Amino acid sequence: MKKLKPGKNNKEDRINFVKYWADFVRNSKDELWSRQQNVLINSQIQNARYVKMSRKDYLNLKGELR
Amino acid sequence: MKFLDKETIKLDRELNELDKFVLDFLKILEKHTDYVIISGYVSILLGRTRGTEDIDVFIKELNKNKFLDLYNNLKRKGYWCLNSEGSGEIYSYLEDGLAVRFALKGETIPNFEVKFARNNLAKESFNERITVITKGGNIKISSLERQIAFKRYYLKSDKDLEDAKHIEEVFKNNIDRKKINIFKNLIMEEDEKAKTRKK
Repeated sequence: MKKLKPGKNNKEDRINFVKYWADFVRNSKDELWSRQQNVLINSQIQNARYVKMSRKDYLNLKGELR
Repeated sequence: MKFLDKETIKLDRELNELDKFVLDFLKILEKHTDYVIISGYVSILLGRTRGTEDIDVFIKELNKNKFLDLYNNLKRKGYWCLNSEGSGEIYSYLEDGLAVRFALKGETIPNFEVKFARNNLAKESFNERITVITKGGNIKISSLERQIAFKRYYLKSDKDLEDAKHIEEVFKNNIDRKKINIFKNLIMEEDEKAKTRKK
């Protein structure tokens, strides 16, 4: 696996990580990378379900309250 | 993950809560109309390390009665619309070219942002769709070249540029760069037309 190259600034650092992770995804079994990705995604969903925002508050936040 | 042919990707990933939400919703949606998923969820499905609160989907336009069938079915299966309870009002938003959001009843995130495919770019996103075969069912996404072009030349936020880069890197041996340029030109033409209409 390629090594992660540090970026000169935040933007470059983030793009370097995208390339690094994409290389891992391309060269690993789906089960392996998805297990790591799922930790992030499942925690976001669980957190959203715990917070329970109302429809009105959510649409207001998105600037879509009509 | 690998391309089985030009229009099919086989994906053996472990499904997460977001994937399960998507697959459950699509099982209802596809009984009523055709669809194509676009934007952020596509790159997440294909491995990008970020979450999202909404899944963008274009659906083929429905008349009011057929939309009512879809809406009633969604309600029966435990979903609600975040924008309104009234089917007439929801349909009028769609008719006006606006997106409406559906989530599991009592929840707001994650949600499906549903829009009628009305302009040329939206209608064309049904062409060259890719079917992603997952362990939980199939998901139809717009072509990878279209995704990259839309994110890189239309949306253009850091997040979108990173999504485009992820898809481009993962599928570097499958992407047709000439097609990205064709879509880039179409997007810019459509953008110009929209700006002219606003003036």
